[in-house]
Amino acid sequence: MDADDTIPVEVAYATPAHQLILSLVVPVGACIEDAIKQSGILQRFPEIEMDHALRVGVFGKLAKLNSPLRAGDRVEIYRPLIADPKEVRRQRAAEGKRMGKGGGKSGSQEGVSG
Amino acid sequence: MLSAILMFSGLGAAFGLLLGYAATRFRVDSDPVVDQIDSLLPQTQCGQCGFAGCHPYAEAMANGDADINQCPPGGEATIQALADLLGRDPKPLNPEHGEEKPKLVALIDEKTCIGCTLCIQACPVDAILGAAKQMHTVIESECTGCELCIEPCPVDCIDMVEVEQSLDTWQWPYPSTGSSIVSDAA
Repeated sequence: MDADDTIPVEVAYATPAHQLILSLVVPVGACIEDAIKQSGILQRFPEIEMDHALRVGVFGKLAKLNSPLRAGDRVEIYRPLIADPKEVRRQRAAEGKRMGKGGGKSGSQEGVSG
Repeated sequence: MLSAILMFSGLGAAFGLLLGYAATRFRVDSDPVVDQIDSLLPQTQCGQCGFAGCHPYAEAMANGDADINQCPPGGEATIQALADLLGRDPKPLNPEHGEEKPKLVALIDEKTCIGCTLCIQACPVDAILGAAKQMHTVIESECTGCELCIEPCPVDCIDMVEVEQSLDTWQWPYPSTGSSIVSDAA
């Protein structure tokens, strides 16, 4: 393949214990699904299931599996949340902790446990 | 004999011309001192020095606007290396900018993370993988331990932890810079 016809991208997946970023080159016009399949990350992490429930994105922004890629993109495979955001907010409100941007400051003084 | 002399003179002249051409054609425009200083900094991009990142701090040092003892993550070893490079006297780390401590990495408590993306926006090195309403995960190998993600988190779910050493994470230790700062140790 000619260098002009390919772009460098990365495919990443992370769990607290293991994180993997794979670098690869894909043809111009390849989509997120192509890159994930080409990277071989599905073989490394069998728990990733390539179906409609799979959420993927590029650098922190959700994207569709058929979105085209640009040079330097980092394709990210996400995992669902464990906590229910509403429930966490309700608990913190009940404990009287401040919410919102910069909440870490007041929280750390109160000695929050994880 | 004569042909050998001629051949090597010719080769010498040809390569000389080539090198001379390359020196003018591929001249480096950026200030090499800034790059040299930047290469000594730990590249945490943490901003504890008071500048927006390691490169701006390097520029300020090259211009004489900043002192060499403002980098807590680099600590004593970085100060010594900067002193050697810039021909200045090493001095203890300025406590205004923080204290030197062992390298930690961020760890997100998955039971509490609400997927708000505030930590991702704060991370200067794209070390957090996640998106809105998806689990956020710190990529240990990318995390520089700058702690900039801790404060924006609205649910306080990020802790700094020590890196467990394994065959995958082991690295050559940084070379020692020889002498240590005597006035600090006394």
